[in-house]
Amino acid sequence: MAEANIVTVRKLSKIYRQGDINVTALNQISLDIKTGEILTLMGPSGSGKTTLLHIIAGIDRPTSGECRVQDIDVTRLNESQLADWRNQNVGFVFQTFNLIPVLTAYENVELPLLLTRLGRKQRRHQVNTALELVGLGDRSHHLPRQLSGGQEQRVAIARALVTSPSLVVADEPTGNLDSHSAQEVLSILQSLSQSAGKTVIMVTHDPKAAAFGSRSIHLEKGELTN
Amino acid sequence: MTIGSFILKNALRNKRRATLSVLSVAVSLFLLVTLLVALRELTIPPEDAGAALRVVVRSRISLANPLPARQRPIIERIPGVEAVSPFTWFGGNFKNEEGMTFAQFAMDPKLLRPIFGEAKMPEDQYEAFEKDQRSCILGKLTAEKYKLKVGDRITLASTIYPATLEFRIAGIYSGTIDDRNLLFHHKYFDEATGDLGQVGTWWVKVRSAEDMPRVTTAINAAFANSSSEVRAETERAFQLSFISMLGNVKLLVASISTVVVFTLILVTASTMSMAIRERFRELAVLKALGFRRRELFAFILAESFGLAVTGAVLGAGGAYFLYNYGNISKMTNGIFITFEVTPKIVGIAILVATGLGIVASIAPSISVARTSVVDGLKTLD
Repeated sequence: MAEANIVTVRKLSKIYRQGDINVTALNQISLDIKTGEILTLMGPSGSGKTTLLHIIAGIDRPTSGECRVQDIDVTRLNESQLADWRNQNVGFVFQTFNLIPVLTAYENVELPLLLTRLGRKQRRHQVNTALELVGLGDRSHHLPRQLSGGQEQRVAIARALVTSPSLVVADEPTGNLDSHSAQEVLSILQSLSQSAGKTVIMVTHDPKAAAFGSRSIHLEKGELTN
Repeated sequence: MTIGSFILKNALRNKRRATLSVLSVAVSLFLLVTLLVALRELTIPPEDAGAALRVVVRSRISLANPLPARQRPIIERIPGVEAVSPFTWFGGNFKNEEGMTFAQFAMDPKLLRPIFGEAKMPEDQYEAFEKDQRSCILGKLTAEKYKLKVGDRITLASTIYPATLEFRIAGIYSGTIDDRNLLFHHKYFDEATGDLGQVGTWWVKVRSAEDMPRVTTAINAAFANSSSEVRAETERAFQLSFISMLGNVKLLVASISTVVVFTLILVTASTMSMAIRERFRELAVLKALGFRRRELFAFILAESFGLAVTGAVLGAGGAYFLYNYGNISKMTNGIFITFEVTPKIVGIAILVATGLGIVASIAPSISVARTSVVDGLKTLD
């Protein structure tokens, strides 16, 4: 039986206005992403790969077209609905980690759970599980500045996973890491897909990182090239 | 972690800035409370317990114009009048002090108790004062200030009359709202000034509160169209007339208070804007994680509010304890006897702090609301 699509993108366009000029970031993109796959988005700078990732993740809106995630057209949700939807369905991993510097690793991971109805005990269980999963159970009380880049990114992955989202989006997650740390991070993302059935969409410039994906697509000037 | 501890950690992330911001609010609110209390003390002076039944009679032309001593029996005959005493400002300098540090009045010592019943003194001191024409009684505050005691002698050189008088202190009183004055025999004053047949003012004790309006009208009428027309008024009205001499103090203090509050808003709003601007990226991350605009507003408001209220607690609270429990007479060198921070003034300070917290959070909240997650993520750390 064919695996179901978790993401369905149809005729998606995004046009930015820069002064008097219209810049087309995405031009009539159509795309299906299957549940549990690791999709890598590749392409030169300005090709629209990050814009596509942001629209799928519900942090940006298209100019036209449809983007359905688990049968919900995210382009039709209002700000508040979109915020709730992101909290429950999407985990974010950024290139620059984006941890809150005044919070410990534990607290950073706990942050998305503050929006849920979970009690303190259950939150603790989920946070510890997520930190164990990325191999940082013993660093939970460290502040971001006390961690290496690789460890910070692993904390960010734990934060992305803690709400058990079905979709994890990663924007150049290895861009700021050395090769060893990059390898670790990619292995974690791969295991998420393989053992936990998470769908991972990853933007990358790095062909080595792309090799970890189950499928890779290329964008150029806002259009799919393969 | 709770939302509260998250807000607290954010508020304290730059400890120096947070401390300076709280201190700027604290100092400003301390100043605001001080101004409001000063305004209250100046415009609503404290009142003696017996003031409600006292009438002050002065020259209609000016307080500086004396009244003829022959008016006394006429006033005494007015129905409702219980006692009438001359009350003349001596204006003496004590020792070699440049300014007058306490007031001295010549009066009828026999009428001290009937008119100023709130002044408390041992019986033997009352008697000694009445018996010795060259004696005086002194308020407790002045006695303490100059370390004077019963039996001591003091000399006062008048700045109004060509007279220097020496007194023996017969008693030290307390219990009035202003325990600083020196009171002495009017006969001694008359003797020293060549019996001019003049008094500064008349202080009248009225039988009951119901009699007050009728007595003041009757006194004014008694000397109407005479060479020494008078103005009789309640002690309260008499005190308030001094305030009107200070000019529009209310407007001046209100103007300064407005400037203080306005500056405070600018400082706090600027601090909050700075604190939020440098966290734009983090706020964008929070939005991406699912925090809604209203939750981010609440974070900013709570931080701004916390800062303002902490400043208010330190500033207004500090003023409350300093002025209500400190020796204000000593602190102001006797300018203010009381300096009460009333619940209303505390309420105003809290209201200002609350408003400050809200106003200061508006601009950062708007800019956070206007910035999309994508734009926020693009901002530099």
